[in-house]
Amino acid sequence: MIQALILLTIGLPWLGGLAVWVTTNQHPRAQHTFAVLFAVAAGLAALLMLPYASATPAIVIPLGAQSVFGDLTFTPDGMSVFLAIIATVVGSLAVVFSVNYMHGDKQLGRYYELVLLFIGAMAGLALTGSLLFLFVFWEITAFCSFALIAFNNDDPKAVAGGIKALIITSLGGVGLLMGALIIYANTGSYQIADFLAKAGTLPKDILALIAFGFLIAAAAKSAQFPFQTWLPDAMEAPTPVSALIHAATMVNAGVYLLARFYPAFKDVPGWTTAVICVGLLSALLAGFMAIVANDLKRALAYSTVSQLGFMVYAIGVGGVYASQFHLLSHAIFKALLFLGAGAVIHAVGTRDMRLMGGLGKKMPFVRTTFVIGALALAGIPILNGFWSKELILEAGADKGPLWAYLLMLLCVGMTAVYTFRMVYLVFFGEPRSQLHAHDAQTAMKVSLGLLAFGSLTTWLLAGPLYELLTSTLPFHKFTELTTVEMVQEVITSPATYLVLVIIAIGALGWWMRDRLAGITQHLQGLGRAGINSFGFEAINRGVVRVTQDSAEALRVTQTGLLSWNVAGIAVGLIVVLVILAWGK
Amino acid sequence: MTALQVAVVGVLGLIGIGVYGLLITRNLIKVVVALQILGKGALLALVAAGAVSGKINLGQSLAVVVIVVDTVVAVVALAMALQVKRRLGTLDVKELSTLKK
Repeated sequence: MIQALILLTIGLPWLGGLAVWVTTNQHPRAQHTFAVLFAVAAGLAALLMLPYASATPAIVIPLGAQSVFGDLTFTPDGMSVFLAIIATVVGSLAVVFSVNYMHGDKQLGRYYELVLLFIGAMAGLALTGSLLFLFVFWEITAFCSFALIAFNNDDPKAVAGGIKALIITSLGGVGLLMGALIIYANTGSYQIADFLAKAGTLPKDILALIAFGFLIAAAAKSAQFPFQTWLPDAMEAPTPVSALIHAATMVNAGVYLLARFYPAFKDVPGWTTAVICVGLLSALLAGFMAIVANDLKRALAYSTVSQLGFMVYAIGVGGVYASQFHLLSHAIFKALLFLGAGAVIHAVGTRDMRLMGGLGKKMPFVRTTFVIGALALAGIPILNGFWSKELILEAGADKGPLWAYLLMLLCVGMTAVYTFRMVYLVFFGEPRSQLHAHDAQTAMKVSLGLLAFGSLTTWLLAGPLYELLTSTLPFHKFTELTTVEMVQEVITSPATYLVLVIIAIGALGWWMRDRLAGITQHLQGLGRAGINSFGFEAINRGVVRVTQDSAEALRVTQTGLLSWNVAGIAVGLIVVLVILAWGK
Repeated sequence: MTALQVAVVGVLGLIGIGVYGLLITRNLIKVVVALQILGKGALLALVAAGAVSGKINLGQSLAVVVIVVDTVVAVVALAMALQVKRRLGTLDVKELSTLKK
């Protein structure tokens, strides 16, 4: 049963992609139908996996006894099933939303094929128990994100954003591959469970090499410091794709990688501090950039980087559960915010918040759902973002260094400021330009309504999620809590009220912005630095340029001349023979 | 010299001549000839490998298959070379290449 469900979760989106391709662009209605059907079916298959979660591999496909690829395994343990559910369920809601958003697009086939390939690859990444295939799925998601960001391929900005995302996430992929190969060389197995069991016996320096390789991979994938700049540039993609990249797939992979390998790396000297610093700097810098951004989607993108920073920080201080719980909350409210923003952009045709304002009256449904998502992002009580953020900060206060905790509190305040600014600029106040707006259409309303319901209720799943993770992850240590106990713990902890006060200060800061004008004047220089991403944009651009320049230089070798190609084959053969002879 | 040594020298010699031919020639007909020589080297290697491993029947039947395939390749390649010459007026590989700027 579980074998079939795993294969369905990964395979259904891919089959759906195939079905959309076979249907061709002449039949857009059929393409919409197929995409939605297969995506929703995959989400259902993922949900059905829940009762079968276990730590033993469910599918083992041997790739030959002497094979250097190891076995292809799929292990449906708590963390994997959990991530696969987020990828497929939130992904399918983005697909449902696309029915209205992509209506009338001429290249619907390419769009749905890539989206479905993306969702399937992400489910595979979550479920596989083999490091090598984790890398394979990892790179498939990198490719899909590139192709989807550059979906409008006649727009040079979209193409540049796509190439940037591809180069930077592939750079991170090198860290993952290096780590995986070192693990194989030292333990003789690609299985994650084998590695976690044997991690203590590996030499310290080798373990450190793996740990920092994986940290680079995770930072690049999750758009963490210093690689954070690819994510805002990815905003050129169609909005459902942004929701997919930010909430359902892609960026969660980095957090998953760190959480998955936390038990092996936590004793590596300096690793947890490095993780805390990466998370903290991302949360701080991105929070600040979100306050000064004027593009609605860019502001949301920075808020994603900032919230991912919270999750990475949580892993650094040992709150693996808190990070996974925030990942769930974030996936839901961020998908809601992005799809809400998509509905606004679809209606008014611009992304500049300075041109919006007063849209709430024209689109009441979108306003209501967007505000729910925004309150969850800011961490207002009883919405899901509140509980998960409290758990992260509690873990930080208990086990983390004090300076990091205090700076995280600052990030919480900044989150409140940029959230209220965003909501106010878009939906409230006086209209600042003549924009024609209409409320969301049916398919959009279905997605938004479901996600808003999720933002209100998913915190009730805290207890079951605890149980799922504790019962199936032998190498992680969790103290099990039920939902009621978690609620009691959060309510009785004084830190909670400190955080709420800071959120209130952040909100007040935005309402009183006129009176604080004197102070903000002095901060203008900082604001300008924020718009320029504090110079890290230059580093990332440098990486991209070096890659592209070397590719251009290597183009000389592609002569298309038979003699040169044969010479290349001959030289390659000689090199391989020399290495083999040398190895003997 | 044993029979095996003769075979090894033959294989290396044929493949060497074939690769050398592919390296230096720019004429399409000569490319086909060089490919044929290379193929015969591989064929001889198959027979020799069959004899060494004791599966002489397998080696020889594979060799027969290679002979057939080789002939087909030669015929089709020569036909294409003829068409190239008729339509484009040249057999020079370098001039035919469109990848070059």
